[in-house]
Amino acid sequence: MRQPTWITCGKSNRYIRIVQPTKSRAGTGFASNHVRAVLALILSASPIVAQLTTDQKQANVASFETVWTTIRDKHWETNPGGLDWQAIHAEYRPRIEAAASSEAARAIMREMIGRLKQTHFAIFPATVYQVLDADGTGEGWPGFETRVLDGRVIVFEVREPQSNIKTGWEIVQANGVNMAPLVAKLQTDPAIHELQLERAVAARLSGQVGAVRPMVFADQNNARVSLDVKLQAPRGEFSGFGNLPPQPVWFESKRLGNTGYIHFNIFLDLVHIMQQFGDAVQQCSHCDGIVIDLRGNPGGIGAMAMGMAGWLVKQPGERLGVMYMRGATLNFFINPRAEAFDGPVAVLVDGSSASTSEIFAGGLKDLGRARIFGTRTAAAALPSVITRLPNGDGFQYAVANYISHGGKALEGNGVVPDVDVKLTREALLAGHDTVVDAALDWIRKQKVSK
Amino acid sequence: MTILTRLTVLGALAGTFAAAQPLPKAETILDRYSEVTGGKAAYQKHTQETMTGTISFPAQGLGGKLTRYGAAPDQEYSALELGPIGKIESGFTNGVAWEKSSILGPRVKTGDEKDQAAREALFDSQVGWRKNFPKAETLGSESVNGEDCYKVLLTPPSGKPETRFYSKKSGLLLKSTTTAVSPMGEVAVEVEVSDYKTFDGILFPTHSKSKMGAQQMDMLITGVSFDQPVPPGTFDLPPEIKALVDKAAGK
Repeated sequence: MRQPTWITCGKSNRYIRIVQPTKSRAGTGFASNHVRAVLALILSASPIVAQLTTDQKQANVASFETVWTTIRDKHWETNPGGLDWQAIHAEYRPRIEAAASSEAARAIMREMIGRLKQTHFAIFPATVYQVLDADGTGEGWPGFETRVLDGRVIVFEVREPQSNIKTGWEIVQANGVNMAPLVAKLQTDPAIHELQLERAVAARLSGQVGAVRPMVFADQNNARVSLDVKLQAPRGEFSGFGNLPPQPVWFESKRLGNTGYIHFNIFLDLVHIMQQFGDAVQQCSHCDGIVIDLRGNPGGIGAMAMGMAGWLVKQPGERLGVMYMRGATLNFFINPRAEAFDGPVAVLVDGSSASTSEIFAGGLKDLGRARIFGTRTAAAALPSVITRLPNGDGFQYAVANYISHGGKALEGNGVVPDVDVKLTREALLAGHDTVVDAALDWIRKQKVSK
Repeated sequence: MTILTRLTVLGALAGTFAAAQPLPKAETILDRYSEVTGGKAAYQKHTQETMTGTISFPAQGLGGKLTRYGAAPDQEYSALELGPIGKIESGFTNGVAWEKSSILGPRVKTGDEKDQAAREALFDSQVGWRKNFPKAETLGSESVNGEDCYKVLLTPPSGKPETRFYSKKSGLLLKSTTTAVSPMGEVAVEVEVSDYKTFDGILFPTHSKSKMGAQQMDMLITGVSFDQPVPPGTFDLPPEIKALVDKAAGK
């Protein structure tokens, strides 16, 4: 039997970020001026052309039926989300038939799947695919990553230095928008968790490669610094997976003293990332320990968690957890590599660590194989697939529930760190990452106690 | 009595009559399959087989290509190149069943999973089905996509039984169900086959649709050839697998 491979991205990858309605990304995130102009034209014209053709109406109804039937047949519960799914059909079908526009039809379908109150169910507009198909290079970023700390947007890591921007600086304003009030507003929405919040903020700072974003920073002395930040090409290489549009993927490994440090942004580009992960572990066979940084990692291909665990677990017969689907129960088993590392392993997580990151961290924690540092993960860990609907929209649906080795569902619970450590602006300004420091300190103590 | 009613009654009578007929023995059905797909002589003149095809997971939008080599009496090597998942290789040589992939690395199959691999590797599994399944029984009749079939239960010496559905009319296999076994667990698998085509005197189903839980997979066979040279070392155990075998043997 071939091992099925599942996408378990949180609602945080680049693709979903584009379509999140809360992101206010219109006009900034898409690829080219031409495409943007066309989109603007379509948007501005929509009230006039709101009347759907018969074919469009049929495509929307067919899409609704596809969504409804897929959930009926493939949700892991025979009564999805505890709902009377047939009654749901009776309630929503007339509304779809009466929908006056594709946007309205999409909103109705989103409302229907929202009734499940489960992550990994989403409808993506066809325009996203069209734009991505037209030009997939519109994911400029400012060259630094941010984190929301105590309601403020703080520069967390500078990858491509420009204009002397430093780790720990606060971004007070971006593109004319004051960030703290924006964060405060987003934080009042109970539907927006840390994962979505971080992505919403990142979306405010990104846009077309080469575009210039005026930003106002507060430096280490809280003095205001106004800079025009030129957006860079995204870090890493774009990699897709089936119907999941391409995402930028990067991997880094380095030594922090005699401890290995592995950091990658998403569980994709399987062949290369698995190779690089294996190489990094093997090159660290004599290290005091290994730190695996999954902060901000939204997940990806679920099976990669199994494969990576095989480099860290020597004992055969272990598993990270169990995935429950309609008609099948699958173990996320671990195939120990001959060269598996058996020293201390620390895994770093935060509220933006989702899905496969949670499967990996939660399983290793439950097995007692890794110590988890940081803050509670996103609690969004349902394996899902993405398909295309008759009207051209994308449809993401969860097909399974996942229970970690310790017996707890990750969905809704997340992974609770063994050591709760928060980032602080003060530490970042002083050149320290409190979470990495805590992990290194633990690894040092393991060496001493040995 | 209207024509429609008469036809209905006739149909009912025919059904009753058919149901009253004794079911053929399973061995008759299985031997018939060997005959209608080429016959013993056609099968037994070959000692090696190369199969190429494509594979797709429509729901996920994933696709790739498959190459499989088989050789008498029981050697097998398959390579599935599945785009972003990379290459997944598996084989059976000298009693060792193995798999190697970018995701999980190398591993040696054991237990029911090994037994299943051994059955799939048996080169003359059509004519020599008795080697794989000492016990076979006809369970009844069942329709597969509107075609009347005999339902046959095949039980191996160890491991999971397999149920096959053979067309009463053509004698061809149309569907099979079994439980696939791997360290990931046991999963019910249903495979429907169709589009039989002749390759060097032997009929092969060139299209299969498999369902494993929520997963669906389509496979198209694009070519089958016999007794052609295979790349050197095709059936040799990969070094990583050999290392695992040696380690298990305490070498």
